[in-house]
Amino acid sequence: MAEFDPERFEDKYANYFTELQRAYKNAFQTMNDRYDSELIHGIDQFVLSESEPFYEGDGRFRIELPDDPYDRLQGVVVGEEKFDSIMDRYLDEIETELQRVFGFDTSE
Amino acid sequence: MSTETEGGDDDLREQITNFLRRNFPQIQMHGGSAAIQDIDRETGEVSIQLGGACSGCGISPMTIQAIKTRMTKEIPEITEVHANTGMGGNEGMAGGSTSPSFPGHESSGGDDDEGPEAPF
Repeated sequence: MAEFDPERFEDKYANYFTELQRAYKNAFQTMNDRYDSELIHGIDQFVLSESEPFYEGDGRFRIELPDDPYDRLQGVVVGEEKFDSIMDRYLDEIETELQRVFGFDTSE
Repeated sequence: MSTETEGGDDDLREQITNFLRRNFPQIQMHGGSAAIQDIDRETGEVSIQLGGACSGCGISPMTIQAIKTRMTKEIPEITEVHANTGMGGNEGMAGGSTSPSFPGHESSGGDDDEGPEAPF
């Protein structure tokens, strides 16, 4: 269990790299089991590769996405509305996984 | 397109390779690979292609972000890192094929190519 330190999270890619990877990976697998695999792969490759997780305090995380995530998607045909709703689910999933990985309470 | 540059490029290339090896051994561990596609010393931009298992299993986003963030910190000459994964690699670059061509290599006799076929 990683001992979470908000200050060390400032340099997250050096201090908490494996935890971040694990959280993203777990979220990816959950989403990939539930939704269209091509779309989930596309989001992983083209949208999340430009995303950044931030610690909000109180055991909560926020994922910041690049501008125009829908326009970044390549090779997948999906309506914008559907994309938005799945993207929201995906972000919730990553945020929850981050809470899990860092030992925070994940109950809403 | 590959203009011969004076030795400094190799130097920088080696720094980048060592940086990746030192900080991201998991790229190799996961059976993936990282190839330096392009280095622009003028602008300090470097393009890296992550391949193999690095792409499409959920860990590449953070790997890419970590490489971008840390490499620009640790290697002062690098100002920007473009990392991409193997997916969607059919972006039509002018000129098409980037495979090396061998001048002077002529197919003699027109025998059938006996190389293994790439499964697509």
